[in-house]
Amino acid sequence: MAQGRNEWEELLSRLPKLSKLLSAGIPTVVLIVIIGIWAASGIYVVGPGEQGVVRQFGKVTEKTSAGLNYNIPWPIQQRDVVNIARIQRLEIGFRTNPRRAGSIRPVPQESLMLTGDENIVDAQMIVQFRIKDPVQYLFRLRDPVGTLRAATEVALRSRVGNTTVDQVLTVGRAKVQDETREFLQQLMDTYESGLLITAVKLQTVDAPNQVKDAFNEVVRAREDKEKLVRQAEGYQEDLIPKARGEAQKIIRAAEAYKEERILRAKGDAARFNSVLTEYRKAPGVTRERLHLEIVERVLVDVDKVILSKNGGGVLPFLPLKDLNFKSGTTTGKAQGS
Amino acid sequence: MIGKIFSSIGVLLVVALMILGSQTFFIVGEWEQALVLQLGKFKYAIQKPGLNWKYPFLQQSIIFEGRILASDAEPAEYLTKDKKRVVVDHVTRWRIKDPLQFYKTVRDESGARARLDEIVFSELRGELASREFAAIIAAEREPAMEAVATRAAAKAEEFGIDVVDVRVKRADLPREVQESVYSRMRAERERISKRYRSEGEEEAAKIRADTDKDKTIILAKAYEESQRRRGEGDAQATTIYGSAYGQDPEFYSFVRSLDAYDKFLGKKSTVLLSEDSPLLKYLADSRKPK
Repeated sequence: MAQGRNEWEELLSRLPKLSKLLSAGIPTVVLIVIIGIWAASGIYVVGPGEQGVVRQFGKVTEKTSAGLNYNIPWPIQQRDVVNIARIQRLEIGFRTNPRRAGSIRPVPQESLMLTGDENIVDAQMIVQFRIKDPVQYLFRLRDPVGTLRAATEVALRSRVGNTTVDQVLTVGRAKVQDETREFLQQLMDTYESGLLITAVKLQTVDAPNQVKDAFNEVVRAREDKEKLVRQAEGYQEDLIPKARGEAQKIIRAAEAYKEERILRAKGDAARFNSVLTEYRKAPGVTRERLHLEIVERVLVDVDKVILSKNGGGVLPFLPLKDLNFKSGTTTGKAQGS
Repeated sequence: MIGKIFSSIGVLLVVALMILGSQTFFIVGEWEQALVLQLGKFKYAIQKPGLNWKYPFLQQSIIFEGRILASDAEPAEYLTKDKKRVVVDHVTRWRIKDPLQFYKTVRDESGARARLDEIVFSELRGELASREFAAIIAAEREPAMEAVATRAAAKAEEFGIDVVDVRVKRADLPREVQESVYSRMRAERERISKRYRSEGEEEAAKIRADTDKDKTIILAKAYEESQRRRGEGDAQATTIYGSAYGQDPEFYSFVRSLDAYDKFLGKKSTVLLSEDSPLLKYLADSRKPK
């Protein structure tokens, strides 16, 4: 665009002289115009994040940075403008459809690979890179991006081959990623690609479709294990505090019993002591009194039968008919009519 | 008329000069190298970019690629030391090191590729046959490939080729074997699933048994403690009773018996009293006993 406009301006600037030039003959005019266009073709713009590389007779002589630049046109000098800031991306194991966002086509021949323990995993990866050295990128390796694709496969398969399936599916993932990036960069430097690998991202790492069910079953089994353990822990957490409570109850009851026994003993002893003190003052009378008091109290409520000594018969003190019904004891029955 | 002749001579001259120039000067690009031959005989090689000249017509220049090139052969099946078959897809990177040698032996890139593939195939076959399958997949992958690259480089030198490296893009099992790998993987996973489940049961049973044990111990300890306390209570009570009642055992016996009568003779009891019971001595006779 910029170039085209410059040529146009060049043409316009020559317009007033056109009549004069016409007299010199049309071939001359044509020649001048051609030379003008040729000279103007050396003007070019290097955009932000870009770098220009100028070759003179095939040899790199100059690197130009952002802005308006000029090189002597072909065949003396040639230029290439390369974007060194743009992060480009490469997909391994799948391709996204550029026309329909989110639609992914897997590429099994790229994504299926062997692990060190001779299992097969399905891994998809994204490589992000940019050009770090335009001269190398342009002139040292044929097809740098195609090389990058092949080298990524080399590096990824090599790293996955050095881990086990369980590792690569779980904790080893980040390690595989880092090592792949490192190895890939090393390869690309050996090839003088001029590319810098900014990131390597494992997208999905999965078991192949043929065995996915079995792998999912392992996940379920692990969940089941957790569940069983949690349930048992629940049992424990339910039972132990209850048992501790029960134990405390038993101990407290025993403590209460102990205290009760001691206090009762003390009470009984105190009572006995008091009575004994009084008894010692007048043993005979007190003894008689205590005896009668108790007998009185006891005999008030009970049924009484007084047996006469001489006759051997029964001398009813209370009506005997009541006796059988009230007592119900063997004594009453034996003596009844 | 004269002008026309002049101008046609001029045009001819320009054309002749251009032809001469194009035969004399030639550019070797940044990614190229060149060979100059004189009547088919080698004169010199140019391995630096820039503008060069030669004798026109007498000498001839040939341009070669200077960049690193790839030779990506078709995947092939190999036999490992442990007699397993493995499909390897390798890629060889190389560059033209000696254009003259290259030109003399293989002439061009496609010729070079054919020779190189032959060399690498045979080296790879030999190398893989000396290593176990598992090692090729894992730890020995890089060393094996470096060995192949070194030997291939030595052999390729006569073609003026420098082998940068040989890498395994893919190392897979043959398609027929894959299904058996899958069934092995499935069996392996089933084993792990079972292990997880029984480990879960094991751990759960252990926790439950521990719990039951702990519970029993806790209760037993409590029983022990409680019996000790009760014993202590009984002992202290006994001491207290002993020291109190020991002062007059006969009186204790008397008082305690009276208490006992009070307790066990309830309302439902019937008492048979003999007429001459001391209790009733005044009931029949008011005289003072002798």
